[in-house]
Amino acid sequence: MDLSVLERVKWLQQQQMVSPDFFEILGSDGREELKRVESYLGNNNDELQSFRHYETIDGCISRTSSFQIEQVKNNEENRVIALQHKRKTEGKTEKIENKKKKKIKTEDETESSMKGKSNMSNSETSSEIQKRDYIHVRARRGEATDRHSLAERARREKLSKKMKCLQDIVPGCNKVTGKAGMLDEIINYVQSLQQQVEFLSMKLSVLNPELEYHINELSTKQFQACFTDLPEAVSKQLMMVDASSFPLQHQESLDYSVINSIQTTTLGSKDQTSSGWEIHSQSLYNNLRTDSVSSFFSLE
Amino acid sequence: MERQTINKNKRVFSAEPTKLSPSEVFTRKYTSHLVPALKKLNMDKNSPQINQLTVKHEVDMALALSAQEFAWSRFLLEKLSSSNNPTTTISSSSNGTRIPERSCKEDEDGEIEEKLRELQKLLPGGEEMNVEEMLIEIGNYIKCLELQTSALKSIVQDTT
Repeated sequence: MDLSVLERVKWLQQQQMVSPDFFEILGSDGREELKRVESYLGNNNDELQSFRHYETIDGCISRTSSFQIEQVKNNEENRVIALQHKRKTEGKTEKIENKKKKKIKTEDETESSMKGKSNMSNSETSSEIQKRDYIHVRARRGEATDRHSLAERARREKLSKKMKCLQDIVPGCNKVTGKAGMLDEIINYVQSLQQQVEFLSMKLSVLNPELEYHINELSTKQFQACFTDLPEAVSKQLMMVDASSFPLQHQESLDYSVINSIQTTTLGSKDQTSSGWEIHSQSLYNNLRTDSVSSFFSLE
Repeated sequence: MERQTINKNKRVFSAEPTKLSPSEVFTRKYTSHLVPALKKLNMDKNSPQINQLTVKHEVDMALALSAQEFAWSRFLLEKLSSSNNPTTTISSSSNGTRIPERSCKEDEDGEIEEKLRELQKLLPGGEEMNVEEMLIEIGNYIKCLELQTSALKSIVQDTT
């Protein structure tokens, strides 16, 4: 179908993407300009057909940010020219999934800095909202716009987003810049954490025979260290093991998780039948009963 | 939050549901796994001397069981349960050296790739994930490792 530029703009207006003031702003001179532009660019109808979901306004503005803006009126024309340019170069990319760039923020800024553009910004945001179901990538000026590089860029953006999240977790990452340095830091941190765990478990294996006698202080102290806001009486509850014969506690996950641990942490004996773990858990109850913590347990 | 007094033979329900942060939940789960397991090791008559490796096994098992919502814990569990003889599942003591930096720019991407692969090796099951998943899982793993070390520290401190 052969559409002239004006007709296309009218179509956009019908789609509520362009404000009705657009034509007013254009004025009669503007329309002549549009016709001139159209003849200059020729008819690129095939590509234009696929622009139903394209951010037309966004396309304009991202281009105009690199243009020299002298007059308000010229901007409108430049936008249309830029729109045509964009459509030409990025026609094929519409057919693949793209991701929305953060340049829209800068676009908004340039937008707000221009005079009398409130109408345009409204239409822009509405078009943004309409486009949310598609993932869009914006090709910046001077960058390749073919399918592969766009997909590659989207992938890289995702990666950098995740690296930023990691930056918050790993201490000392803020000072290092660049992906490689950060990855180095992360690797070293993970290694040091694992070494710490190894060292502590080694210490524990040496101290383990004494563990039994201190289980009481252990249960209260360590939980107090972690959860200072909980009262001590409640924290003692956390040593409870069996759900069925013991008072129900508020942390349900604890009961079943401990029972599972009895089942699964027994070394060498894989076949834990249900009766088997009961016997084991009984022996544990007997041990724990001697502690003061057991005052919360009901006797069988 | 109000707590009712706890009687021995009564079933008790708290007045309001407990709202715990995920780190608290994890720490509780972890200690509740580890401490009974360690006690059991103590009680076990078969092995009078507690091997360091068995303790390490328990430590890792507790970690895997307390973080079951993450993919890496699944891999860790598989590793631990598949090994009859407990072996050190996380061998980190030998990898203390830093990766040498290359100044050539062309190698930069390759360098990053190499480091990502290195990171994948550190994470249990990391080699089976793609890079994006792996980065997310690494974040969780680091958090859990931090909580694990603090729990272990408090356990060790209390026994000394």
